[in-house]
Amino acid sequence: MNISQNYVDQIIQKISTWARVNSPWAIHFNSGSCNGCDIEILATLTPHYDVERFGIKLRGSPRHADVLICTGPVTRQARDRLMRIYEQMPEPKFVIAVGSCGISGGVFQGCYNVEGHIDEVLPVDAFIPGCPPRPEAIIDGVIKLLTHIQNGTRPALVIKPGIKEAV
Amino acid sequence: MTPLTALLSIMFFPAGLTLILSGMLYEWADRKLVARFQNRIGPRWFQPLADTIKLLTKEEIKPQGLNYILFYGLPIVALTGALTAALYAPVLGLPPIYSFPGDLIVTLYLLSLLTMCTGLAGWNGSSRFSVIGATRSFTQLFAYEAPFLLALLGPAMAANSWVIKDVGVYAQTHWMIFTQPVGFIIALIGLMGKLELPPFDAPEAETEIVAGALTEYSGRGLALFHIGKSVELVVAISLVTAFYLGGIGNPFLFLLKTSVILLMMAMLQSILTRLRIDQTVGMWWRFGALLALLQFLVMVLLKGWLA
Ligand code: SF4
Repeated sequence: MNISQNYVDQIIQKISTWARVNSPWAIHFNSGSCNGCDIEILATLTPHYDVERFGIKLRGSPRHADVLICTGPVTRQARDRLMRIYEQMPEPKFVIAVGSCGISGGVFQGCYNVEGHIDEVLPVDAFIPGCPPRPEAIIDGVIKLLTHIQNGTRPALVIKPGIKEAV
Repeated sequence: MTPLTALLSIMFFPAGLTLILSGMLYEWADRKLVARFQNRIGPRWFQPLADTIKLLTKEEIKPQGLNYILFYGLPIVALTGALTAALYAPVLGLPPIYSFPGDLIVTLYLLSLLTMCTGLAGWNGSSRFSVIGATRSFTQLFAYEAPFLLALLGPAMAANSWVIKDVGVYAQTHWMIFTQPVGFIIALIGLMGKLELPPFDAPEAETEIVAGALTEYSGRGLALFHIGKSVELVVAISLVTAFYLGGIGNPFLFLLKTSVILLMMAMLQSILTRLRIDQTVGMWWRFGALLALLQFLVMVLLKGWLA
């Protein structure tokens, strides 16, 4: 009885992980970025890069989303909003920080109105470096996050996308 | 029909599991076609299934300040309505398993239940986006419901019956897309309005009101509404196909015909932009309803004249 129960649990776990990996719905929040990263994220969503083939979909409501894509440093004003949006998302949820500013504060480091980088406010699962990162890098970062969800491991601290420069 | 076969028919075939799975396949076909029209690769074939399972395994957040009976009950009622409608509809070209005099009207009401529930769910929400979405859902419901009803009453009138089965049998020999082309076009566009597909997606316009009436729903509730919508897609497409494109009959041919309708819907979706809510209402009442009524009048007169 106990063993079969365990078995059923494992199967359910497998199915839900499979579903989670194959349908990450994202929400995008700008907590103080210069807009460069946001434009790259929008470029990622255009038909040219077609992220729907991985099941990625941009949703407006945090209640529907699984992945919070943050850009930019966290300003004092945006801090509360960022945390509130994160708390409105249902479990299980993941955070991706896009751009150098999200990783370290970037060029905004030490500004009077900047609180710090995103990792100081939220538990970030994947960092995508670049100023701004190319759409290929963003897709690569998301896919790496998905592989880690699949394997059940937390991603390493910094994900370095090894993209070849498209000519 | 014994209770056991009735239970089986509700749980597995033609309602229930089969219908939900085929609804997902139709949804995938629709998304894939739109993607191909936009020169994209599009989602993989199991995408709607993965979406649904993921939503079902997610946490369901309980917003504050709502009526919880409505909050939890409405998704279930919506799905039940759509699944019940399938019992009277010629899904896959097979004759419906239940039928009684007047089941056409009942089915159409059951199909509106999903929109009603979505609207009520939004109305119940405490977020302003869901209230605006609910208002738009209801407004749009009043716009397309009457012309859509008239468009499906045309074939029923020609077949002299209010029973879906009889109309389907009559339509086997009378292709009503040729005798009532206006009705077919109105039924097709009404179908898109019913499913809130673009250009009629003002109720869930994500650039303006986040996700419309379902903004506050997460996890299970959202999943049930999703399933309900894909079931409704199958049922409504089967109804229109059976009425206008050669009735109930060979399942393979029927599948082909529904695919043609899906193709047309995907094309319209990708070439048209979203209408404002007042444009939607204006279009339906100024053109849709009038044209449908006109055709209805012509049919009444012809019938009287021939008789
Ligand atoms: S990483 Fe570069 S592009 Fe992105 S927000 Fe910072 S400065 Fe702007």
